[in-house]
Order: sequence, then structure tokens, then C-alpha cells
Amino acid sequence: MTIDRIVFGDNQFFGINHMSQDKAQERAERFAKLDNVMAVYDHAIEAGIEGIMLNSNDRAKGICDRFRAEPEKYGHLRWYPSIPYPHKYASMVNDKGMVGAVQEILFAQGAKSAFGKMLKGGMAVATLDAVKLMKMLVDQEMEIYHDLDVRVVFLQNIIVDLMLGYDVAEPFVAYCEHIRKKYGAYPGLITQNLPFLRRKLIEWGIEDVVICASINKIGYLQSPGVEEYEAVLAENDGEKYPIMAMSTLASGAVPAPEAYEYINRLNVQSVVFGASSPGNIKQSVSLIEGAPA
Amino acid sequence: MTTDLKLGIIGAGRMGITHFSIANAHDHAEVTGVADPSKLVTTMMGKYTGVGTYKDYKGLLKGEELDAVLVCTPPAHNPEILDAVLERRLHAFVEKPFMLKSSDGERFAAGFDAAGLVNQVGYVNRWNDMFTKAKAFVDEGLIGEPLRFRSEMFSGTIVRDVGEAGWRATHANGGGAVYEMASHAIDLIAYFFGAPDSVGGTTLSKVYSKQVEDIVASNLFYDHGLTGSIYVNWSDASFRKPTNKFEVFGKKGKIQVDQHGMKIFLAEANEAHGFKQGWNQLYITDVFSSVPFYVRGIEYTAQLFDFVASIREGKPVRCTFADATADLRVMEQLFADDAARAAGDAA
Repeated sequence: MTIDRIVFGDNQFFGINHMSQDKAQERAERFAKLDNVMAVYDHAIEAGIEGIMLNSNDRAKGICDRFRAEPEKYGHLRWYPSIPYPHKYASMVNDKGMVGAVQEILFAQGAKSAFGKMLKGGMAVATLDAVKLMKMLVDQEMEIYHDLDVRVVFLQNIIVDLMLGYDVAEPFVAYCEHIRKKYGAYPGLITQNLPFLRRKLIEWGIEDVVICASINKIGYLQSPGVEEYEAVLAENDGEKYPIMAMSTLASGAVPAPEAYEYINRLNVQSVVFGASSPGNIKQSVSLIEGAPA
Repeated sequence: MTTDLKLGIIGAGRMGITHFSIANAHDHAEVTGVADPSKLVTTMMGKYTGVGTYKDYKGLLKGEELDAVLVCTPPAHNPEILDAVLERRLHAFVEKPFMLKSSDGERFAAGFDAAGLVNQVGYVNRWNDMFTKAKAFVDEGLIGEPLRFRSEMFSGTIVRDVGEAGWRATHANGGGAVYEMASHAIDLIAYFFGAPDSVGGTTLSKVYSKQVEDIVASNLFYDHGLTGSIYVNWSDASFRKPTNKFEVFGKKGKIQVDQHGMKIFLAEANEAHGFKQGWNQLYITDVFSSVPFYVRGIEYTAQLFDFVASIREGKPVRCTFADATADLRVMEQLFADDAARAAGDAA
């Protein structure tokens, strides 16, 4: 399995940042315009990046449309979607409760969709098979990325880590199988508990899964801790479980040269990073070893 | 205690399923039963996790041999549930705001304490690394005697017209910005300084809700002279995630803190902490603690693992039923003060 050594993320556009409110506001205003978002992507592509991670948030469809509209310019790119957009479901559950939220998502597909037919056929939400339900939700999210070259479909950490605590193999097995079969892509799991998740995947016999996790010098968002991460990475088989590092700068706590010097020493197959200025993008690409020339 | 704790979850909504995952990941705890009225939820939980599932707390308490329960139901249900839990002599973790009436809170605080049962309420900000650090600074006198504080909380939870359905629509069920959000802002004040003695100039305003308030504003007074204000707005769409902002002003400086960072202004440098005169900035990456398992944030794991440690090892409880009851008294004062002002206006 090969995945891009460098993947360009989306946190710079939509991420919740820890900086001042003024800066956050300035950024939100700037990236409310799709042209400004695309300009940043163009800088990244100019710097040699060919892999893009994009969360299925409410802006994602518009962005993908722009990429699809210019195949000669963007057709070579490889995509790394992350699903779902957790905030969408959180507010739905807030508004309507768990069952109401599921119903709303299913009905949103319209009467002619697979859901519509099932619901018309008298199937109640309460008796839906969970695996079937999961597949439908995945398919709905993946609609955003149609006709793009999808390499890995990542499941967000809020879902992965929640399910990890339940200690049940079945949803993980079902997700991975669905992504492979339906999308011909590699399943990916984002986690803040890399050692625990990897141990469980081995126990459950699930292989060929990309694991994306925060990996940084100071151990920020790395449970149980940085030593355990380093030990696990040292013994990890990057063929069976390719590792994609995120949060390498630890929300800006580690300067880029120091951060990537650390990452370059580790058995990490890929790095996802976000930046919005041409200078920062170029700097990151040049600091990550094994990067495209 | 050498055997693993057996836990039951009552109410498998957003908080219930989160606590289930975290508690289950503890080396010495295991979730064995879940009660929830939703058949969708219990069917999936039963099928995939193998826990015992029940449509309500009565079935759970009868069907499982438990050491403790995590109560994550709408607060109007909690008195009835906790009566049964106390009768069964089980330790209890209860989601905030715990109860709707302080008189109920007092009864259960006294009952659980007398029975020697660990009792904890899920005011999770007391486990946030930024807030615990800020409290430590205030307690050690970094900014001198606290004179004035401001506790604010914002979110875009209710940003369109909402119907009258659901438990959130009325005070009787525990809906409204006072119970659901101002409770956090009040508890943060109580965590720093204890509960205030009185309130004044309260306004509870509606933006979208029909029967409950969306904005809470008030002033809080302590008999020893400390004063502060609270401002909570859950209809502010400029905030994507719920955010607490807390500021304390003292004679020697001030601290402004939220979940992710802290600004400290000092009249004089503090060498022990390496703080200079003027502005100092701390980020969460400077002070974070680590937890064995992470789901929604470090503080969620820390509070639940503390609950387990309190049962197993007698670790002191950071937010007891009595603490949450003191917060409820403040909420009752806010309702009364707003009602009195509205009555005065009408006259």
C-alpha cells in the first residue's frame, strides 16, 4: 500500500484554533470566500503536494466541485476524505434526540433513495441493522467526493475513539470492509489513542488500515503518552498499519523545523499538515523528508 | 478494592454514550448494563457490546449487580432515580445540573454522604487543565486578593426558532440557558471562590426559545466583598463550540482564561513561575496533563477516572452533590431575582 508522504489538510480553513478571537475572525472572513480557499490549494499544489485530506463539513461539496470542474489542472490529485462532520450530527442530536437525528438524516435522502424505499416499506428506524445504517451514512457522506481519486477514507477520531472504548470489533470490521469494497480505497482511522487502537486492530485481525494520529514532540493529544507512542511506532509494520502523523506542530507549540526533525526520525509513513501562507507551505514541504522534489 | 467496578449507565444520550466508552476503557471498571427508553439505542448497545439493556432504571437496578451508576438523564427524572439508587446503596456520578431544586439536592447530598457513598456531579470544567491551573494561580496569590470576576459562556446551540417539543423546551424538564449552560459558568465561579451569597440585577432574555431563556446576565455578591458578573448566551452563532471565558481581577494583576489558553497580566514579575511584568501567555500545550484514554477531551476522562479512584481508593471528590446543590441555590436566586424585576416593571 502506498499513500502520499505529504497530505495537505483543511484545519487552516475550518479548524477551531486556539489563537486570539480577532485572528480567528479574520481567518473565518478570509476563507468564507471559496476563491481564497482555492488560492491556498494552488500554493500547496505548486509546492508539489498531490494528496488532500478534506473533512465532509458543510463547505466540502463546494470545494470538491471546484476541483472537479478543472480536471486538467486537478485531476492528478489523490484524496483522503475524513468523515463524518461531527458538528453536524452533534447539533442534530441536540435538536431532535438520537432517533430523531437518524430519521432526519435518512429522510433527507428523499423518497426515491434506498432509505426512502426502506422506510416506505415499513421499516422502522428502531429496527434498522446498525451495520447497514453505518454503510448508508458513510455513502451519504462520500457523495461529496464523487469522481475524485479517493485513496483513504478516514473515520473521525470522535467516532473511532468512542467505539474503541466499547471494545467491540464488529463496527471496525464492517467499516473497513465497506470502504475497501465500495470505494476501492483503504480504510483509515483517526485516533488520539494510537497504541490502544493498534493493539486492538491486531487482536481483531484487521490489517491494511491507515492510522492517523497526533504525533508531536511534546506528546500533545497522545494518550497514554509520548513514550508509548514512540515505542509502538518503533515496532510498527508500516505495510500493515501505515501511520499518518497529524498535529505535528502541536497547535503551534513546536516550531516547524524542530517538529519535522522529530517526525523524520520516526517510523511514520505520511504527514498531514495545514498552512495558509505560501511560505509556510513551502517550508513544511522542504522540512518533511521523503517529500516530493 | 481488588475486583473491577461494575457500572450501570442510566440515560444513553450524548453524555451517556461518552461516559460508557471512557468508563469501559478503565482497567478496573466495566459497564455491565445500560438503561434508555430508546429502542434504537438499547438494541444496538445490546447487540454490539453485549451489555444488559433495559428500558428504564428500575430494570437496570433489578437486573444487574452494580457498584455504581452514571446518571445521564434529563434532570427532572433524577430525584426518582436517585431515591432508588440510594436505596440500593450504589455510588453515583450524575450529569449536571444534577437536580432542578436545591431542596432535592440537599436531601441527596445528605443521604449519600450519610450512607458513605461516593457522589459526584459532571461539572467537567473542574477537570480542565487550563481552569485548574488558573485556580492554582489565584489560590497562591499570584494576582493578589481577588476583587472582581467575570464568568461568561457562549455557544451557537439555539440559533433558530425551536419547537415546543423535547425536554429542553421547559424549565420543568430542566431546559433553558440557566440550567443547561449558566450552570457551568456558575460552577466555575463556585470552583474558584465558593458559591456567592446573593445576586442582583438579573435579566433572563429570550432570543428563539418560547418558554425558557436564551441569555442569562446577572451580578453576584459575596458577603466578604468580592463581586462579579455572569453573562451566558447560547444563541450566539459566532461560537461554533461552547466556550467558557473567565476573568479574575486582583490588586496585583489579572487572569483571563478559557479552555485553551490563559493570559496573565502582572503588576510585578513573578520569578517562581518565570512570569514577566505585564502580559504573559500560556497555551493548553504548556500545561496539559495526559490521560490513559481520550474520547472527547482530557477532562472527560479525568473526571470519570477520578470517580472510579474515589470509590476504589477513597480519593477526595472534586465536585460533590453538595457542591452542585450550592450551584442550584444560585440558579434559584437568578430565577427569583429576574421574576422580581419583571414584576416590578409590570407594576
